[in-house]
Amino acid sequence: MNYTALSLSQTPPLSVPLRFFLTAPLFLAAAALLLLINADALTVGRWSPTMLALTHLVTLGFLGMVMVGAIQQLLPVLIGVPLTYPRLTSTLLHLLMAAGILLLVTGMALTSLFLLQLGSALLLPALLGFILLVWYTLWRSPSTHATVGAMALALFALLVLGGIALWVMLQGGWHLPLAHPLTRLHIGWGGLGWIGALLIGVSYQVVPMFQITPEYPLRVRRWLTLLLAGVLLLWSASALFIPSVTWLAEFALAGLVLLFAVQTLWLQQQRKRRLADVTFDFWRLAMGSLILAVVTWLLGQWFNWPQLGLVTGVLFLLGFATSAINGMLYKIVPFLVWLHLNNRVQSSGGWQGSIPNMKQIIPVVATRRQYQLHSAALLLLLLAVGVEIVPVVRIAAGLWLISALYLGWNLLQGMRCYQHYLRQVGQG
Amino acid sequence: MEQILDVSALAAPEPLLRAVDVIKGLPQGDYLRFRHRMKPCRLYDVLKESGLEWETRQGEVVECELFIWHAGDRVAEEAARAAAAKLEPWQD
Repeated sequence: MNYTALSLSQTPPLSVPLRFFLTAPLFLAAAALLLLINADALTVGRWSPTMLALTHLVTLGFLGMVMVGAIQQLLPVLIGVPLTYPRLTSTLLHLLMAAGILLLVTGMALTSLFLLQLGSALLLPALLGFILLVWYTLWRSPSTHATVGAMALALFALLVLGGIALWVMLQGGWHLPLAHPLTRLHIGWGGLGWIGALLIGVSYQVVPMFQITPEYPLRVRRWLTLLLAGVLLLWSASALFIPSVTWLAEFALAGLVLLFAVQTLWLQQQRKRRLADVTFDFWRLAMGSLILAVVTWLLGQWFNWPQLGLVTGVLFLLGFATSAINGMLYKIVPFLVWLHLNNRVQSSGGWQGSIPNMKQIIPVVATRRQYQLHSAALLLLLLAVGVEIVPVVRIAAGLWLISALYLGWNLLQGMRCYQHYLRQVGQG
Repeated sequence: MEQILDVSALAAPEPLLRAVDVIKGLPQGDYLRFRHRMKPCRLYDVLKESGLEWETRQGEVVECELFIWHAGDRVAEEAARAAAAKLEPWQD
């Protein structure tokens, strides 16, 4: 293959997204460790301090970290406008987020008012600054790309869910647990607005690009996130002012989520090359889990089994969001390593050796093993929630912990591969 | 003259590499008809920096088609624009 220098003018330095991607699995491992130590937390219900800390380790620590890193990587490429001071911004943001999340979840787990306030004081300005910076960048760009619209909605949702969290905390004098009526809105905007919209937007890029499928249909790209935004607003308004009709908006939201999952599975069936691919499997697991999450949510509307809420939560957060992001990382990290490596080598006047291909940057066998661990952890965790037997929870948490650490290790191999080859060409 | 490059069955980063390779050897008077299953966001930067111009269209055979020519190459531009005009403009 004749490698050619590719333009990186809109691409931020590799360290910008990678610092977020490499930190994220540590938070996932921390969540698993917390469950391993407090295995009875799953049988106590959703509103215990441990469950709150665990949920936020996953949503803020793992999903949030990756998503903030991915926005910084994707946005400049999609809209052709780089973020201002990318290295400084990402360093500050990463430090504030990592410290803020750590303090916040520790405050939740220990019900420490001081740590909760300190964590919020670091996290909220960091996220607010990030949202404003990205919006300013979007404002400077004429791009109407569907992914950009989805990102704008996701950031708006982040603002709403952060605002609700702050308001509830201030109203309640920073006391936990927070089974407040507004918490439902916080979860809805977090799950469907922030996580959902961003994953939908990113999937418009990564599914066709890496899974060799056709593009999402124009109608879906154009209307899905707009409808999602509209229905989320209607749902919030009805929850606040006309609670009797909230169910209508909730069913509409469930329909939109189902549409996305089924559309993605259908596209995957249309893929042009049917080669074994671990990202493909992660995404199939993610979409299957999303459909099941809608089913268990629907069942929860008729059956009063308290564990159904937890099953839906595990399916959505671990089965859908974590699986999709885990699979995506196995394409994005090797791709970025390859892209930057290719350019560094070419800019130094070429090199006689060969640049590793994407499958060599993170070994396929290792990613496949981690997929098996992740799937087993998910299945056991669902079983553990159902049977409520503490030893089963411990085994599930143990598998989850190994899977999260393995993910971190695999991503680290990508970074080490980059440094190794740079040293070989005398640039390291 | 029209040169066709269909990368619709290739995964990233192959489409980008193939496009760059063909573009490097694109002679005056020729334009490249680039067929892909998606809008190639990363390619636009390369085209801009290489002094190339293009039009993006909804494809017939595949989802997206780009018509690419050297800036200032009137012959190629005319032929590329005429071929592109037969397809619908790209819609994000």
